[in-house]
Amino acid sequence: MSKRTGTDGSLLASLPWTLGALAFSVVPHVQFLPTWVTGIFLGCSAWRLQVERKRWRLPPAWIRIVLAMLCFIGVLASYESVSGVGPGSALLAVMAALKLLETKQRRDQFVLLFISIFLIMSSLLREQYLWSLPYLLVGVLFTMTAWLRMSDMRRIPLRQSVMTGGRLIAYAIPLMLAMWVFFPRIATPFWAVPIDTSSASSGLSDTMSPGDVSSLSLSDAVAFRVDFEGEVPPQHELYWRGLVLYNFNGRTWTGREPNVDSTARRSIEVNGDPVSYTITLEPTRQQWLFALDVPYEWQWRQNIRMGRHHDLSRVQPIDQRFNYRLTSYLDYRLARDLNTNEHGWYTRLPDGANPRTVALAQQMREDAGSAETFINRVLRMFNTDDFYYTLEPPPLGSSPVDRFLFDTKRGFCEHYASAFAVMMRAAGIPSRIVLGYQGGEVNPMGEYMIVRQADAHAWTEVWLPRRGWYRIDPTAAVAPERIEEGRYGAMMDGVAASWGLNAPTQWIYQLQMTWDALNTKWNEWVLAYGPDQQGNFMQWLGMDEPDWQKMVLTLIVILIVLISIISALIMLRYRPPPKDEAAIAYRRFTKAAGVSPDTGETPLMLASRISRENEALAKDASDITALYLDVRYGPPELVGIARLQSAVADFRRAH
Amino acid sequence: MSSTTFRFPDALRFTTYRQKARTRVRRWARRRQGVDKPVTKLQPRRIYILPTGVGLVFGLMTFTMLLGSMNYNNNLSFVLTFLLVGIGFVSMHQCQRNLVGLEVSFAGVDPVFAGQAAEFRIAITNHSKNRRPHLQVYVDGIVSRIDDLEPGESRVFHLEIPTRRRGYVRLPRFGVRTLFPFELFRAWAWLHMDLSGLVYPTPARLRPEPPPTQAAHGHRQHDARGEEDFAGLRRYHEGDSPRHVAWKAYARSGDLLSKQFSGADTSSQWFDFDEVTTADVEQRLSILTRWIVDAERTQADYGLRLPGTEFPPAHGDAHRHRCLEALAFFDLPADDGAETT
Repeated sequence: MSKRTGTDGSLLASLPWTLGALAFSVVPHVQFLPTWVTGIFLGCSAWRLQVERKRWRLPPAWIRIVLAMLCFIGVLASYESVSGVGPGSALLAVMAALKLLETKQRRDQFVLLFISIFLIMSSLLREQYLWSLPYLLVGVLFTMTAWLRMSDMRRIPLRQSVMTGGRLIAYAIPLMLAMWVFFPRIATPFWAVPIDTSSASSGLSDTMSPGDVSSLSLSDAVAFRVDFEGEVPPQHELYWRGLVLYNFNGRTWTGREPNVDSTARRSIEVNGDPVSYTITLEPTRQQWLFALDVPYEWQWRQNIRMGRHHDLSRVQPIDQRFNYRLTSYLDYRLARDLNTNEHGWYTRLPDGANPRTVALAQQMREDAGSAETFINRVLRMFNTDDFYYTLEPPPLGSSPVDRFLFDTKRGFCEHYASAFAVMMRAAGIPSRIVLGYQGGEVNPMGEYMIVRQADAHAWTEVWLPRRGWYRIDPTAAVAPERIEEGRYGAMMDGVAASWGLNAPTQWIYQLQMTWDALNTKWNEWVLAYGPDQQGNFMQWLGMDEPDWQKMVLTLIVILIVLISIISALIMLRYRPPPKDEAAIAYRRFTKAAGVSPDTGETPLMLASRISRENEALAKDASDITALYLDVRYGPPELVGIARLQSAVADFRRAH
Repeated sequence: MSSTTFRFPDALRFTTYRQKARTRVRRWARRRQGVDKPVTKLQPRRIYILPTGVGLVFGLMTFTMLLGSMNYNNNLSFVLTFLLVGIGFVSMHQCQRNLVGLEVSFAGVDPVFAGQAAEFRIAITNHSKNRRPHLQVYVDGIVSRIDDLEPGESRVFHLEIPTRRRGYVRLPRFGVRTLFPFELFRAWAWLHMDLSGLVYPTPARLRPEPPPTQAAHGHRQHDARGEEDFAGLRRYHEGDSPRHVAWKAYARSGDLLSKQFSGADTSSQWFDFDEVTTADVEQRLSILTRWIVDAERTQADYGLRLPGTEFPPAHGDAHRHRCLEALAFFDLPADDGAETT
């Protein structure tokens, strides 16, 4: 029918709002979408609006089908997949654009509004910032207002639609809060779909090849935040243990996949005071967890496991921000016993690689006499020879350790750790590389510690009989300030000096810290609200042994109460207009006079009837009736309602 | 090859069950509510509510979103999902409240000829301070236009009920419904006012010529009242044209009198049921209807004679109505021929 004729312009009242709501939902996706998808969406929107305005025709079905197929192939080609948030949101945007081409009736816009909601949802799956909450509220308000305008028959003022939409959403917010708090959270997902395959992993690399990558990322991105329960240990003790590498092929260090070793924890002996803290790890899409060297207690039910090299990992990859509480001991002994097999693994070097280093190490070992002396001499060599700490070392080519030790002598932690470990192995001392983070910055606003990607660090562990594995950080021998002060002390001094100003930098720094503190609270209270936090909160509320049945029951009771209140509030809005006070007063008078007005009887007729029936009331009746008529029909300033009311009150007192 | 086409047994057909269920629910509602007064205020207990198709899709969508939020333990998705669920709850109550307290009244229906649609007028008044959007009156597949009511406003909604046979067109039940605010729910109230309208017989299309005009024919001339000459006053009878009421006399005495006219050139015709040369009763009634309609158009006087009843010649809306009404009810059993919708 409408194939032949153009559009009738009936959607002009609602379509702009539907398109607006859709565009608002697309905005957070734009930076992730291929340009052509955004282009198609904007093009179709503008074009459809113009069609409605100019009463043009919509395209025939075959064009739409061809376009739909092209778009689907396009998305498939851009993402090589149709699952996940990236392709999902691209498909939604394309669907919205194509649906616009066949939106003829008012009701077709329902589909568009549903797509709009799904787009908001997928942007939340991708990223959850502090501003995401206001964004989603405004998005829902936008969508629901468009919905009201689509559903309304008359053209009503925009203000009225927004007010109605806003009012209904305001009623829904307490319900949302109750459901959000009490709806039972589950620990394990139903299915594992990568949230976003397109964004690269931001965690540490699983391998280390000093000399390949010529510079280190100085990303300020947060790796994790730490909330210490007691004193914060000094900077030089803050070694955040991650994964351990022990295979060396002459160039690259590799380790094992995340693994479980039930004997690992038993081989730890601890001394001194425990340090307890909670780490909030940003998503890494890896399984590794970070812990202050060396972790001793953790929560098994969070699926945290210790591997063979005293490394912690979680069974599932960290796709979401992850909170875990740990207890570490800074004074420890690891694996005092090492069997011959293990001894072999940790001293293995590829034949013929880095021959100069091997020769040097063997020479130094012979000269030194004891292993301890040898280790100290190597460290002194790093300290006193011409070694420099730099973040942009020259590339090293083949035999990288040889070239580093004898030629370039410039590098960062990876170079020193690798060279040191190779020298140890050459001298027959078991050694391995630990990757993790070193240091951290205490945020004075929130009293917690921020560890950033730029704090990534590599150090070594060597094994000596009776001593077990212990940490040696060769970088500390080269650049002790890096370890003692932490990166920030050095950086802040540098920044302040280079600007020649102290105050503004301090001020910006404060602002950054405040923002981070706010974000941390947000993460801690809102985003991290999972099964454990919920259980704790329920206990705090007074629920013993919270389980899902109790929570659901409580939720139902709360919802019933809230809905009754909301229903009453809605009913209040529909109450009849205030009663006519003049009529009430006059009715009181007639009641006191003992008569009831007949249908169609006017006040004057009633007054004369009263006079007829009871002479004594005649005067009052005519006076009060006159007053009533003046209030009712006279100009407002003639007689106040109060006079009528007091006259009636007098009459009632008298009779 | 068998020529009979395969049919599902009735018991297997879904629509039959649906219809049965629908009839049963209606009977139940009727028993529960009883017959309504012509002016009825909608009380909460008589308002029913169910999700619409869009509402079901909305529910499915929020359920999917809930599963997604649970899977990813994504707390902002939970916020969005629960906000939508909350909006669903709120809109359910808002939808029901949009009907509560409305005053529904019957505002009349004009007689129609069988085959035309009888237009029942249902007035709805909003006595509250709040706007009532998206209201509609309906019965079965017949709907009025959708309209909004401002505070204090009253509007008439039209239900066009098709008619097939003369007699009464009945409207034992109709509904008032709303989809406000988001068309997720449909709230409705059934009203059983037992309304009925009058249906005249269909005027015949092909008609024999009406009987010849009888001018100045014996004693009947007396009755042949035209409007030419004033012949006197008589007491007002219901149905007399207001144009003929002697308003001046009413102002003086307070008695309603009608002016009577007579004229020598007044022509009058008698339409006699027995003189129509067709065997079929309905056909005869149709022809008589046609004659009356045509005669009225030319302002000619006409009388109608049915077995047992007689309407002396006259014209005017009231006369026409009396005659057509008699035709509509002619030989109609007390409760037969009524169209129940």
